[in-house]
Amino acid sequence: MTDLPGTRRLLITWAILMGLTVVSMISARLDQTTDWQTLPLWSVSLVLLATGFKAHRVLMVYLNLRAATPAWKGVFIGLTLLTLALISAGYLAGRFNVMG
Amino acid sequence: MHRDLPNPGWGPLSALPGNPLMWVLILSEMLVFTAFFALYAGQRALDPALFNASQQQLDPLLGGLNTLLLLTSGLCVAFAVEAISVGHTQRTRQWLGAAMLLGALFCAVKFIEYSDKFAAGLTPETNAFFGFYYGLTAFHFAHVVFGLMLLGLVSWRTSNENVETAAAFWHMVDLIWILLYPLIYLLR
Repeated sequence: MTDLPGTRRLLITWAILMGLTVVSMISARLDQTTDWQTLPLWSVSLVLLATGFKAHRVLMVYLNLRAATPAWKGVFIGLTLLTLALISAGYLAGRFNVMG
Repeated sequence: MHRDLPNPGWGPLSALPGNPLMWVLILSEMLVFTAFFALYAGQRALDPALFNASQQQLDPLLGGLNTLLLLTSGLCVAFAVEAISVGHTQRTRQWLGAAMLLGALFCAVKFIEYSDKFAAGLTPETNAFFGFYYGLTAFHFAHVVFGLMLLGLVSWRTSNENVETAAAFWHMVDLIWILLYPLIYLLR
Protein backbone atom coordinates (compact mmCIF):
# COMPACT_ATOMS: atom_id res chain seq x y z
CA MET A 1 0.00 0.00 0.00
CA THR A 2 1.46 3.35 -1.03
CA ASP A 3 1.18 6.78 0.52
CA LEU A 4 -2.49 7.70 -0.02
CA PRO A 5 -3.84 11.21 -0.78
CA GLY A 6 -5.89 11.57 2.43
CA THR A 7 -9.51 12.62 2.96
CA ARG A 8 -8.91 16.38 2.79
CA ARG A 9 -7.00 16.22 -0.50
CA LEU A 10 -9.61 13.88 -2.00
CA LEU A 11 -12.47 16.20 -1.02
CA ILE A 12 -10.69 19.27 -2.42
CA THR A 13 -9.96 17.41 -5.66
CA TRP A 14 -13.57 16.26 -5.96
CA ALA A 15 -14.80 19.85 -5.43
CA ILE A 16 -12.38 21.10 -8.11
CA LEU A 17 -13.49 18.38 -10.53
CA MET A 18 -17.17 19.14 -9.98
CA GLY A 19 -16.58 22.90 -10.27
CA LEU A 20 -14.58 22.55 -13.50
CA THR A 21 -17.27 20.32 -15.00
CA VAL A 22 -19.87 23.02 -14.33
CA VAL A 23 -17.47 25.67 -15.73
CA SER A 24 -17.09 23.56 -18.91
CA MET A 25 -20.85 23.24 -19.27
CA ILE A 26 -21.34 26.99 -18.82
CA SER A 27 -18.46 27.78 -21.20
CA ALA A 28 -20.05 25.55 -23.83
CA ARG A 29 -23.16 27.78 -23.71
CA LEU A 30 -25.59 24.97 -23.01
CA ASP A 31 -28.28 27.62 -22.49
CA GLN A 32 -28.43 28.03 -26.29
CA THR A 33 -31.30 25.60 -26.74
CA THR A 34 -32.71 27.21 -29.86
CA ASP A 35 -29.74 29.13 -31.24
CA TRP A 36 -26.96 26.52 -31.41
CA GLN A 37 -23.95 28.57 -32.51
CA THR A 38 -20.27 27.83 -32.93
CA LEU A 39 -18.48 28.49 -29.65
CA PRO A 40 -16.16 31.49 -29.38
CA LEU A 41 -12.49 30.49 -29.22
CA TRP A 42 -12.11 31.64 -25.59
CA SER A 43 -14.93 29.30 -24.69
CA VAL A 44 -13.34 26.36 -26.53
CA SER A 45 -10.01 27.13 -24.83
CA LEU A 46 -11.69 27.21 -21.42
CA VAL A 47 -13.39 23.84 -22.03
CA LEU A 48 -10.09 22.27 -23.12
CA LEU A 49 -8.10 23.80 -20.24
CA ALA A 50 -10.68 22.63 -17.72
CA THR A 51 -10.60 19.15 -19.28
CA GLY A 52 -6.79 19.01 -19.13
CA PHE A 53 -6.72 20.11 -15.51
CA LYS A 54 -9.42 17.62 -14.55
CA ALA A 55 -7.49 14.79 -16.23
CA HIS A 56 -4.33 15.91 -14.39
CA ARG A 57 -6.13 15.87 -11.01
CA VAL A 58 -7.61 12.42 -11.63
CA LEU A 59 -4.18 11.06 -12.56
CA MET A 60 -2.35 12.67 -9.65
CA VAL A 61 -4.88 12.30 -6.84
CA TYR A 62 -7.55 9.71 -7.67
CA LEU A 63 -5.03 7.40 -9.37
CA ASN A 64 -2.36 8.55 -6.90
CA LEU A 65 0.27 8.99 -9.60
CA ARG A 66 1.89 11.67 -7.39
CA ALA A 67 3.49 8.71 -5.55
CA ALA A 68 5.22 7.56 -8.78
CA THR A 69 8.51 8.72 -10.29
CA PRO A 70 8.68 11.88 -12.46
CA ALA A 71 9.23 9.68 -15.52
CA TRP A 72 5.89 7.87 -15.08
CA LYS A 73 4.11 11.12 -14.31
CA GLY A 74 5.58 12.47 -17.55
CA VAL A 75 4.35 9.46 -19.55
CA PHE A 76 0.74 9.77 -18.41
CA ILE A 77 0.58 13.57 -18.48
CA GLY A 78 2.28 13.53 -21.88
CA LEU A 79 -0.29 11.08 -23.24
CA THR A 80 -3.13 13.20 -21.87
CA LEU A 81 -1.63 16.32 -23.46
CA LEU A 82 -1.21 14.46 -26.76
CA THR A 83 -4.87 13.44 -26.65
CA LEU A 84 -5.96 17.01 -25.99
CA ALA A 85 -3.64 18.30 -28.74
CA LEU A 86 -5.18 15.86 -31.24
CA ILE A 87 -8.70 16.86 -30.20
CA SER A 88 -7.79 20.56 -30.48
CA ALA A 89 -6.08 20.09 -33.86
CA GLY A 90 -9.12 18.29 -35.31
CA TYR A 91 -11.46 20.93 -33.93
CA LEU A 92 -9.39 23.85 -35.26
CA ALA A 93 -8.85 22.20 -38.66
CA GLY A 94 -12.63 21.87 -39.04
CA ARG A 95 -13.33 25.35 -37.77
CA PHE A 96 -10.87 27.04 -40.12
CA ASN A 97 -11.60 24.65 -42.99
CA VAL A 98 -7.98 23.49 -43.24
CA MET A 99 -8.99 20.12 -44.72
CA GLY A 100 -10.87 21.80 -47.58
CA MET B 1 16.35 2.97 -2.68
CA HIS B 2 14.57 -0.30 -3.51
CA ARG B 3 12.69 -0.36 -0.25
CA ASP B 4 11.09 3.00 -1.20
CA LEU B 5 9.54 1.59 -4.37
CA PRO B 6 5.84 0.64 -4.11
CA ASN B 7 6.38 -2.58 -6.12
CA PRO B 8 9.98 -3.80 -5.83
CA GLY B 9 10.93 -6.47 -8.39
CA TRP B 10 8.69 -5.15 -11.19
CA GLY B 11 11.48 -3.40 -13.15
CA PRO B 12 10.37 -0.03 -14.58
CA LEU B 13 6.84 -0.66 -13.25
CA SER B 14 8.06 -0.90 -9.66
CA ALA B 15 7.80 2.88 -9.24
CA LEU B 16 4.01 2.91 -9.86
CA PRO B 17 1.54 2.82 -6.95
CA GLY B 18 -0.92 -0.10 -6.72
CA ASN B 19 -0.91 -3.18 -8.96
CA PRO B 20 1.64 -2.69 -11.79
CA LEU B 21 -0.40 -4.79 -14.24
CA MET B 22 -3.36 -2.45 -13.81
CA TRP B 23 -1.10 0.40 -14.94
CA VAL B 24 -0.22 -1.57 -18.08
CA LEU B 25 -3.95 -1.91 -18.75
CA ILE B 26 -4.57 1.79 -18.02
CA LEU B 27 -1.79 2.86 -20.38
CA SER B 28 -3.00 0.55 -23.16
CA GLU B 29 -6.63 1.70 -22.73
CA MET B 30 -5.54 5.33 -22.85
CA LEU B 31 -3.63 4.66 -26.08
CA VAL B 32 -6.65 2.94 -27.66
CA PHE B 33 -9.01 5.76 -26.70
CA THR B 34 -6.48 8.37 -27.89
CA ALA B 35 -6.43 6.66 -31.29
CA PHE B 36 -10.26 6.69 -31.46
CA PHE B 37 -10.38 10.33 -30.36
CA ALA B 38 -7.86 11.21 -33.07
CA LEU B 39 -9.99 9.40 -35.66
CA TYR B 40 -13.06 11.29 -34.49
CA ALA B 41 -11.19 14.62 -34.60
CA GLY B 42 -9.95 13.85 -38.11
CA GLN B 43 -13.43 12.96 -39.37
CA ARG B 44 -14.88 16.04 -37.71
CA ALA B 45 -12.31 18.21 -39.50
CA LEU B 46 -13.48 16.76 -42.85
CA ASP B 47 -17.16 17.61 -42.29
CA PRO B 48 -17.63 20.04 -39.38
CA ALA B 49 -21.12 21.09 -40.55
CA LEU B 50 -22.46 17.53 -40.34
CA PHE B 51 -20.82 16.94 -36.96
CA ASN B 52 -22.15 20.24 -35.53
CA ALA B 53 -25.67 19.57 -36.78
CA SER B 54 -25.63 16.00 -35.43
CA GLN B 55 -24.14 17.08 -32.11
CA GLN B 56 -27.15 19.34 -31.63
CA GLN B 57 -29.31 16.20 -31.37
CA LEU B 58 -27.45 15.17 -28.17
CA ASP B 59 -28.31 16.27 -24.65
CA PRO B 60 -25.14 17.82 -23.17
CA LEU B 61 -26.85 18.29 -19.80
CA LEU B 62 -27.31 14.53 -19.47
CA GLY B 63 -23.67 14.08 -20.47
CA GLY B 64 -22.69 16.62 -17.80
CA LEU B 65 -24.84 14.88 -15.21
CA ASN B 66 -23.08 11.64 -16.04
CA THR B 67 -19.70 13.35 -15.60
CA LEU B 68 -20.74 14.52 -12.12
CA LEU B 69 -22.00 11.01 -11.25
CA LEU B 70 -18.77 9.32 -12.35
CA LEU B 71 -16.53 11.85 -10.57
CA THR B 72 -18.48 11.41 -7.33
CA SER B 73 -18.36 7.66 -7.74
CA GLY B 74 -14.58 8.00 -8.14
CA LEU B 75 -14.44 9.88 -4.83
CA CYS B 76 -16.34 7.04 -3.10
CA VAL B 77 -13.89 4.50 -4.50
CA ALA B 78 -10.95 6.61 -3.32
CA PHE B 79 -12.53 6.69 0.15
CA ALA B 80 -12.89 2.89 -0.02
CA VAL B 81 -9.12 2.64 -0.65
CA GLU B 82 -8.49 4.93 2.33
CA ALA B 83 -10.82 2.80 4.50
CA ILE B 84 -9.25 -0.55 3.59
CA SER B 85 -5.76 0.87 4.19
CA VAL B 86 -6.66 1.23 7.89
CA GLY B 87 -8.47 -2.13 8.00
CA HIS B 88 -12.08 -0.86 8.04
CA THR B 89 -13.62 -3.59 5.91
CA GLN B 90 -17.24 -2.70 6.60
CA ARG B 91 -16.65 0.99 5.83
CA THR B 92 -14.82 -0.04 2.64
CA ARG B 93 -17.83 -2.06 1.49
CA GLN B 94 -20.13 0.87 2.22
CA TRP B 95 -18.03 3.20 0.07
CA LEU B 96 -17.82 0.60 -2.69
CA GLY B 97 -21.60 0.19 -2.50
CA ALA B 98 -22.08 3.96 -2.86
CA ALA B 99 -19.68 3.98 -5.83
CA MET B 100 -21.58 1.13 -7.49
CA LEU B 101 -24.91 2.89 -6.96
CA LEU B 102 -23.58 6.02 -8.67
CA GLY B 103 -22.09 3.87 -11.46
CA ALA B 104 -25.48 2.20 -11.92
CA LEU B 105 -27.10 5.66 -12.15
CA PHE B 106 -24.57 6.55 -14.87
CA CYS B 107 -25.72 3.45 -16.77
CA ALA B 108 -29.39 4.40 -16.28
CA VAL B 109 -28.78 7.91 -17.66
CA LYS B 110 -26.89 6.44 -20.63
CA PHE B 111 -29.74 4.02 -21.24
CA ILE B 112 -32.23 6.92 -21.27
CA GLU B 113 -29.99 8.76 -23.72
CA TYR B 114 -29.68 5.76 -26.05
CA SER B 115 -33.44 5.13 -25.88
CA ASP B 116 -34.20 8.75 -26.80
CA LYS B 117 -31.81 8.65 -29.73
CA PHE B 118 -33.14 5.36 -31.06
CA ALA B 119 -36.72 6.60 -30.65
CA ALA B 120 -35.77 9.64 -32.74
CA GLY B 121 -34.41 7.33 -35.44
CA LEU B 122 -30.79 8.22 -34.70
CA THR B 123 -28.79 5.02 -35.01
CA PRO B 124 -25.09 4.23 -35.59
CA GLU B 125 -25.91 4.07 -39.33
CA THR B 126 -27.42 7.57 -39.41
CA ASN B 127 -24.12 9.27 -40.25
CA ALA B 128 -20.41 9.34 -39.30
CA PHE B 129 -21.03 11.41 -36.17
CA PHE B 130 -23.55 8.96 -34.74
CA GLY B 131 -21.28 6.06 -35.69
CA PHE B 132 -18.61 7.63 -33.48
CA TYR B 133 -21.11 8.67 -30.80
CA TYR B 134 -22.43 5.15 -30.35
CA GLY B 135 -19.05 3.50 -30.89
CA LEU B 136 -17.12 5.62 -28.39
CA THR B 137 -19.80 5.87 -25.71
CA ALA B 138 -20.75 2.18 -25.96
CA PHE B 139 -17.08 1.16 -25.71
CA HIS B 140 -16.78 3.35 -22.62
CA PHE B 141 -20.10 2.00 -21.31
CA ALA B 142 -18.70 -1.54 -21.57
CA HIS B 143 -15.79 -0.41 -19.38
CA VAL B 144 -18.25 1.02 -16.83
CA VAL B 145 -20.12 -2.30 -16.69
CA PHE B 146 -16.85 -4.23 -16.32
CA GLY B 147 -15.74 -1.76 -13.64
CA LEU B 148 -19.01 -2.29 -11.74
CA MET B 149 -18.41 -6.05 -11.84
CA LEU B 150 -14.86 -5.52 -10.53
CA LEU B 151 -16.14 -3.31 -7.70
CA GLY B 152 -18.74 -5.97 -6.86
CA LEU B 153 -16.06 -8.64 -6.84
CA VAL B 154 -13.75 -6.72 -4.49
CA SER B 155 -16.70 -5.90 -2.20
CA TRP B 156 -16.90 -9.66 -1.74
CA ARG B 157 -13.15 -10.42 -1.71
CA THR B 158 -12.09 -7.31 0.18
CA SER B 159 -8.35 -6.84 0.57
CA ASN B 160 -5.93 -3.93 0.22
CA GLU B 161 -4.57 -5.08 -3.13
CA ASN B 162 -7.96 -6.03 -4.60
CA VAL B 163 -9.62 -2.73 -3.67
CA GLU B 164 -6.64 -0.67 -4.89
CA THR B 165 -6.59 -2.54 -8.21
CA ALA B 166 -10.35 -2.21 -8.85
CA ALA B 167 -10.16 1.47 -7.81
CA ALA B 168 -7.42 2.13 -10.38
CA PHE B 169 -9.61 0.63 -13.13
CA TRP B 170 -12.59 2.73 -12.01
CA HIS B 171 -10.53 5.94 -12.03
CA MET B 172 -9.33 5.09 -15.54
CA VAL B 173 -13.02 4.89 -16.57
CA ASP B 174 -13.44 8.38 -15.02
CA LEU B 175 -10.42 9.70 -16.87
CA ILE B 176 -11.61 8.48 -20.27
CA TRP B 177 -15.07 10.02 -19.74
CA ILE B 178 -13.49 13.35 -18.75
CA LEU B 179 -11.82 13.44 -22.18
CA LEU B 180 -14.79 12.00 -24.08
CA TYR B 181 -17.46 14.36 -22.72
CA PRO B 182 -16.18 17.66 -24.21
CA LEU B 183 -15.16 15.98 -27.45
CA ILE B 184 -18.58 14.49 -28.21
CA TYR B 185 -20.97 16.83 -26.38
CA LEU B 186 -19.43 20.28 -25.93
CA LEU B 187 -17.00 21.36 -28.66
CA ARG B 188 -18.78 22.84 -31.66
